[in-house]
Amino acid sequence: MKAPHGGVVALLLVWLLGTVPALAGDRLYLYNWNNYISEETIKRFEAFCGCDLVQDYYSDNEEMLAKFAAGAKGYDLVVPTGNAVDALIKQGALLPIRKDLLPHFANLNPAYLDTEFDPGNRYSVPYAYSITLLGYNEPKMRELGIPTDSWAALFEPQYLARIKGKVTVLDSQRELMAAALKYLGYSANATDEAKLRQAKELILRAKPYWAAFNASSYIKELTLGNIWLAHGYSNDMFQAQQDAKRAQRPFTIGYSTPKEGAVLAIDSMVLHKDGKNRDHPALAHRFIDFMLEGRNSADLTNLIGSGNPNRAAAPYIDPEIAANKAIFPDAERLKRLEMLRDLNVRQRRLLNRLWTEIKLR
Amino acid sequence: MSKAKGEGLTRWWVIAPPTLFLLLFFALPSLIMVLASFQYPGEYGGLAPLFKDPARPDALAGLTLETYRFFFSDIIYVEIFVRSFGVALATTLVCLVAAYPLALLIARSPKKHRDLMVLLVVLPFASNFLIRVYSWMIILGPLDLLFSSFAVVVGMVYVHLPFMVLPLYTNLEKHDPVLLDAAQDLGANAWQRFWRVTFPLSLPGIFSGAALVFIPVLGMFAIPELLGGTRDILIGNLIKEQFLGSRDWPFGGTLSIMLTVTVLAFAALAAGLARGGAARSG
Amino acid sequence: MRRGPLLWAAALLAYAFLYIPLIVVVVFSFNDSKLSAAWVGFTTQWYVALLHNEAMLGAAFNSLVIALLSSAFATLLGTMAGIAMHRYKLRFLPFLVITPVAMPEILLGVSLLLFFIQVLHLTLGMLSIVIAHTTFCVGFVAIVVRARLAGMDESLFEAARDLGATPWQTFRLVTFPLILPAVIAGALMSFTLSLDDFVITFFTAGVGVSTLPLQIYSMVKIAVTPEVNAVSTLLMLMTLSLIIAASRFSPHLFKAKA
Repeated sequence: MKAPHGGVVALLLVWLLGTVPALAGDRLYLYNWNNYISEETIKRFEAFCGCDLVQDYYSDNEEMLAKFAAGAKGYDLVVPTGNAVDALIKQGALLPIRKDLLPHFANLNPAYLDTEFDPGNRYSVPYAYSITLLGYNEPKMRELGIPTDSWAALFEPQYLARIKGKVTVLDSQRELMAAALKYLGYSANATDEAKLRQAKELILRAKPYWAAFNASSYIKELTLGNIWLAHGYSNDMFQAQQDAKRAQRPFTIGYSTPKEGAVLAIDSMVLHKDGKNRDHPALAHRFIDFMLEGRNSADLTNLIGSGNPNRAAAPYIDPEIAANKAIFPDAERLKRLEMLRDLNVRQRRLLNRLWTEIKLR
Repeated sequence: MSKAKGEGLTRWWVIAPPTLFLLLFFALPSLIMVLASFQYPGEYGGLAPLFKDPARPDALAGLTLETYRFFFSDIIYVEIFVRSFGVALATTLVCLVAAYPLALLIARSPKKHRDLMVLLVVLPFASNFLIRVYSWMIILGPLDLLFSSFAVVVGMVYVHLPFMVLPLYTNLEKHDPVLLDAAQDLGANAWQRFWRVTFPLSLPGIFSGAALVFIPVLGMFAIPELLGGTRDILIGNLIKEQFLGSRDWPFGGTLSIMLTVTVLAFAALAAGLARGGAARSG
Repeated sequence: MRRGPLLWAAALLAYAFLYIPLIVVVVFSFNDSKLSAAWVGFTTQWYVALLHNEAMLGAAFNSLVIALLSSAFATLLGTMAGIAMHRYKLRFLPFLVITPVAMPEILLGVSLLLFFIQVLHLTLGMLSIVIAHTTFCVGFVAIVVRARLAGMDESLFEAARDLGATPWQTFRLVTFPLILPAVIAGALMSFTLSLDDFVITFFTAGVGVSTLPLQIYSMVKIAVTPEVNAVSTLLMLMTLSLIIAASRFSPHLFKAKA
């Protein structure tokens, strides 16, 4: 009886301390959103590089930032959204990208390059994007005569009165404020206190008609028909639409970008300075370059309906998705989209105070 | 070895391990956050340095009381505290009412069935938290009860019920049935036997169950987030927002400390009451 | 045994409340639709998919082992703390025990992460999760054990001592059998607390280390599939069989000592 116990204890110790002897080949550690790379792409990449891709997930940029801020180490690659890239750059947490190792960099659409927070893309390589917009139950909106091309549907009591309790908005300070600011004709990045207060008043006026602040279940609630109008991300709305179609719901889900403008969120690949392979940057660069190839990049768009910043991906993208203006905006629409910038301490505190009031009142 | 010495040694063997463990892995890490509550937030996340960097004289650094000033100068935070305590109280009371008969039944069942009945209370909690809450969404959605304060209390009660049942059961299980027989012989009816004998004796169980429900409810944020409507913000949500929304660790620390201090004050009060109650009934 | 029909009815109602959502979980794990809304038809496809989902199975395994280890440690330490608080009327220990229960999880998670990395220079992994879980479970066990001991007849322990029992014998023969239900209750609570924890685990988990809650929470934004219902159902079955197996073996264990 005693001997196997020794073996079990030893095994347990190995497992606890995570000192499993490294398997043959390299391991690349990716900190990513769940379902943000297709299984086929992973298999192809692992075969291509002869390495293992190890993924951990976060479901919110802030979770990832908090974990890094407390000192978490070991992730080679992260896929943060624009304003989180902004924060990571300013914190000095990223390694510069070596473009000489990325022959496919030229595939990227210049419209999504050279952002305000990373001029010349020194630290970030665009991966995919989404647009924050309105998703809705098509027949209901038609029947009740509610405009679906304007934030008015979300903020004007005259429309909201017809869909009271059937509306959800994102549980996100920045996104909801951005929508209100856009509707008021301001920049989504306005930090002027008077404008923010005006946006708060707009939100408080509309709030009694909303069912919930919801960041997670609106896809499902839309598909089930419990919610008729939702403020959310374009790829989520794509999923709701597909789910409703597959489940043969008696209605269709539509989504469109409000004419007043909306938030564009570009997720980019960045290299973290505390990655396990930081001394062998070639491996991480191989992954980035691999994802820049048209077919690999298109996989994700076909999987989740994400926007694609890669020109070489176009021939591989499902034509139905490619023709969707809410996913691939034309030049005219693109001009009205805005990326969120990161806020400094004072701005964050002001916004947080207003947000607490929005939640409580 | 003399008896007294053996006793002294036992004392240390019992007290030292949990004390040392909690000092090392709880008190020490918490001190970091106590300190953090007096710091400035870092410009882009985390904490600002404790000492000024001569190269960046206008960057925030050092210690400050400003997060405490925010807290005490703004009625909005008191309102959220009051509301959270209300929800916690409602949850605790509903849990108590629902758990008491269950605990009593288990305690009075034949010994060989008790463990199974206890296990049946805990078993649903071996499934995943989120999936259980999702089930409530599926149940409450068609009833038009989802996204409401009612849904929040249902969810809270559901998640915390075992923490009321188990302490109650472990207390009720040790009651001597002889006491009830004696009361019956003295002419007490069933209700009187419960009120005058069982209930007072179970007070320590009620207090510990209440503590294990009331306290965790205060810090909970997932249930209001998933089941609540547009006004269901509790302290837990407020604290979460500081860490995973505004990157304001100092204010998050301050709110947590204020919450913990309030809870400990309540616990001390309840312990005092319990001691008084035990003294009266004993 | 005084178990009137009223008591039975109230208790069954409470059981029903506990099990209704669970029935929903199990039923939809066999439903032939990605939307857990209406019954479409019977399928085992989610279980088949689960068997091929290594990440999910690995995470479930990790969760189970972490829960077993941390509930074992927490029960040991918590039982000691409960006895110590009862026996020695300490002033400091009760606060040390109850504060982790009162501390918001996020704060505990962030401060443990800071402490592990910046003070102990520990590489995050399973060990860091087990320590973190033990920390917040100890209080739960201690509080239940103490409530069990409250009002217990001191003369029993004194009699044992007067009969010449060593402290260890007193504990083994008198105290332990008396507090056993509380110890079991504490262990069960710790087990489920650990199995369910997301926030503290998120912060203290190392690279490439995942637990079931971490897997499931990251799926929330992209909608949870019935695969999660399937894994929850299996986890409950596993827990049930583990505990039944343990209770088959443990009576002998206890008998040998008693």
